[in-house]
Amino acid sequence: MTEVLVVGAGLTGLFASLLAAEHGDAVTLVAQGHGGLGLCHGCIDIWGRATPSRALSRLRKSHPYRLAGTAALHAAVEFFDEITQQAKYPFSGSISRNLRLPTALGSIHPTALAPQSLAQGDLDDGTPFALAGIDNLRDFYPQLAASNLRHTGIAVQSVLELPIPLDGIRHDFSTSDLAQLFDQPNWREETARFWKPHMTGIKRLGLPAVLGLRDPQHVLEDMQQRLGVTLFEIPTLPPCLPGLRLEVILRRRALNTGVHLIEGPRAVGRIDGRSGGRRVSGVVLQTAGGPRIHTADVVILATGGILNGGIVFHQNGSVQESVFDIPVNYDEGRDCWTTASPIDSQPYSGYGIMVNDHMQTLDAKGAPIFENLYVAGGLLGGADRTMEGSRQGIDLATAYRAVEVALF
Amino acid sequence: MPALSTQLLVIGGGSTGLGVAWDACLRGLKVVLVEQGDLGQGTSGRYHGLLHSGGRYVISDPTSARDCAVENRVLRHIAPHTIEDTGGLFVATPADPLDFPDRWFAACQKLGVSAEEITATEALRLEPALNPRISRAFLVQDGSLDSFDLLHALTAAIKRAGGQVWLKHRVEKLILNVNTVVAAEVRALDTGELITIRADLFINATGPWAGQMASMAEIQLPITLDKGSMVAMATRTIHTIINRCRPPSDGDIIVPIGTVAVLGTTDVEVQQPTDIAIEPWEVDFLLAQGEILVPQLAHQRPMRAWAGVRPLYRPNTVDLGSTRELPRSHIILDHADRDGLQGLISVFSGKLTTFRLMAEQVMDLVCKHIGIAAVCRTDETPLMPTSRSFYKLPDRLAKLEATTSHYFPQVICECELVTRSAIEEALRATSTHDLDDVRRDLRLGMGPCQAGFCAYRAAGIAHEVAPPGSWLTAFLEERWRGMVPLGWGHTLRQMELMRRIYLELLQTHSISEPTK
Repeated sequence: MTEVLVVGAGLTGLFASLLAAEHGDAVTLVAQGHGGLGLCHGCIDIWGRATPSRALSRLRKSHPYRLAGTAALHAAVEFFDEITQQAKYPFSGSISRNLRLPTALGSIHPTALAPQSLAQGDLDDGTPFALAGIDNLRDFYPQLAASNLRHTGIAVQSVLELPIPLDGIRHDFSTSDLAQLFDQPNWREETARFWKPHMTGIKRLGLPAVLGLRDPQHVLEDMQQRLGVTLFEIPTLPPCLPGLRLEVILRRRALNTGVHLIEGPRAVGRIDGRSGGRRVSGVVLQTAGGPRIHTADVVILATGGILNGGIVFHQNGSVQESVFDIPVNYDEGRDCWTTASPIDSQPYSGYGIMVNDHMQTLDAKGAPIFENLYVAGGLLGGADRTMEGSRQGIDLATAYRAVEVALF
Repeated sequence: MPALSTQLLVIGGGSTGLGVAWDACLRGLKVVLVEQGDLGQGTSGRYHGLLHSGGRYVISDPTSARDCAVENRVLRHIAPHTIEDTGGLFVATPADPLDFPDRWFAACQKLGVSAEEITATEALRLEPALNPRISRAFLVQDGSLDSFDLLHALTAAIKRAGGQVWLKHRVEKLILNVNTVVAAEVRALDTGELITIRADLFINATGPWAGQMASMAEIQLPITLDKGSMVAMATRTIHTIINRCRPPSDGDIIVPIGTVAVLGTTDVEVQQPTDIAIEPWEVDFLLAQGEILVPQLAHQRPMRAWAGVRPLYRPNTVDLGSTRELPRSHIILDHADRDGLQGLISVFSGKLTTFRLMAEQVMDLVCKHIGIAAVCRTDETPLMPTSRSFYKLPDRLAKLEATTSHYFPQVICECELVTRSAIEEALRATSTHDLDDVRRDLRLGMGPCQAGFCAYRAAGIAHEVAPPGSWLTAFLEERWRGMVPLGWGHTLRQMELMRRIYLELLQTHSISEPTK
């Protein structure tokens, strides 16, 4: 049994931990905080800009998809499907064709896989739909969304504002407050009673994503049955429920599979001197009680990119990887990191760790730096995930590839 | 073409123009003010927030120093609601010339600028975050002045007195009759309509645009444009304005204002009033200088950088040297005397602190031309606080917490505690429904997340109040611009979060918004 250490508990780290644990290895997952799932829409973007399957074969050789390989992507998606099916939160869609889902702004989000509650909003489904906001919820504006959808030629039947049974309570609530209320059968019963009169003439209705956190598929089906319409959810501003649900599902399964989760401490990389510097021996965890050494045969680094702290950008114009200080591929000097508009492609988005097709980090000559250190997910360079619409696909494929090379 | 007549047309809606218009109203003149953008969109809104004691200029520019000292007292009297009486300190650090404090202190006393020496220990007791190695410290009467509150109060006062303030109206042409300016052609930027305004006198109070405005009457102004960059730190850290006690130079001041501390400034000569891009060295320099005064700034997060363009007077006799050497006191040019052109007066340079004095002197000249004997009353007439006094965060919090209504107010911008009703009110009060105007009115999106969360919410509300304009992208771009010069560490993470929300979650780049 191999001792595996995974650093980072976002989509990549959780997925890699599950793969390794279900393969029968002893997995420890260390994480400084929550991963980025709560900031994500909860779908699996594989390639947003064009037909995915064709685009993937044309990428640069250093692109994470090319390095991980199409087989890893397919196997990863298969495993992801199995996890979500078993968690009773089934996903629809496929690698070869994107769903087109409406966003809270009324733009179109092309994505490969989405949970059923979001996928039912597919704009290529011909069923007419209406949009509904929830009274006093500040994170969703259906009028704006409807207006922008209509502007692109998509018909929105009507826009409603639905009341909620919170009378007598001073409320300025968030989507996660609401989702936890929807987890309760009494709340659903009462809310459905409030909503039912508004459903006349509506077949399909889009709502902000608030339909439950712990057992969302059941909440969806229950509400659909009570209201007699097909419901679909639209992700809102973070914290974003569909992303949080994935985190709940993956964490729950990881703990059930025997993954040892250590949360809180910062990890500092530890190199195995006896190997002549060719191997890492684990990490030192900066716990409240002092440093604690954690050794492993294999380390999978899934600390994420700039947002999640895997990569740190310094005022002096340098860019550093935060656990092992392995070299990052970037342009020197702050002024070339960003551009004038936030909606353009940003050079910094493509910075990250360069690896070979075994997900091992490379030195200047292109040789692996450490034999037993594998890198996956947002930490990898060579892709502009935001503009490509490839974030979760890269996370899954590279996590799969790293575990496959290290353990299978 | 629609036309109207007035006695005085003031061009420019910064502190100078509004000050002139207010003074004119009090002297009983009919006045119209036109501004091409929003209130304080130029230099008045792009400053560090310092109400000068005068101490900064006692050596380099005694006239400015004396004016500041007097006007400081006047403004505290007429517009106390715009000022936080932070007090100021001039401190000498080990990096500063040893002989300067004594010379400086003597000059303060000579010019009537109030200054009191305290021991370094006392200064540190007052401001524990100060560099412990300071050798001398002096208390002065600095304050922080909220220019947006001031401009709103002036505008309200002008309107109450019967004057008119037209925002988003740009002067496109000055019409001359032989040697007299008789009218201006003004474009309403929202509707595209062209209006002719006839007036007895025209005041060019356009700040860095003064040169361009004068050239419409074929006059060259001796003006140099000088960019000053500033950095706002995400925390306030200090509660007293801290000045370096040394000859005026770059990066010599920290101003606590509202929830932030502003590090100022640099001096870079530029060609256009719109040249406000900030170079990386400017930011590095300001942060390094700030650390000399308050060492813990090194561990804090810079939140936003911006630059204003000072219109400085450069007579032909001054050699091309550093713009730091140019006098900072204001200049009033009567083009009748100077160029033989009747009907036009230009006023530029000066400080926000002395805007009222500039206006008084301009209006004295105007009265002489028009032949009336009214005296200035702006120094004794208080400006009423406007309902838009939104600047102080604790006040907003108290108001929120005191809410007794059934529904708790929806907080749309959590950093600056801006509520839904405040946004709706602001949107209804303007004709433009531009999110950036709402920002200037309410501080929407000016906190640490720089509109990452509230931009979408505000766009949604704007759409409900007045479809179809939302201009979300333009607003995000404006917020982004202030973060780009600070794009490393936590600020770059914040920028990435903005992109994750607006591009990955909301796919903002794939919609075409209604154009302005």
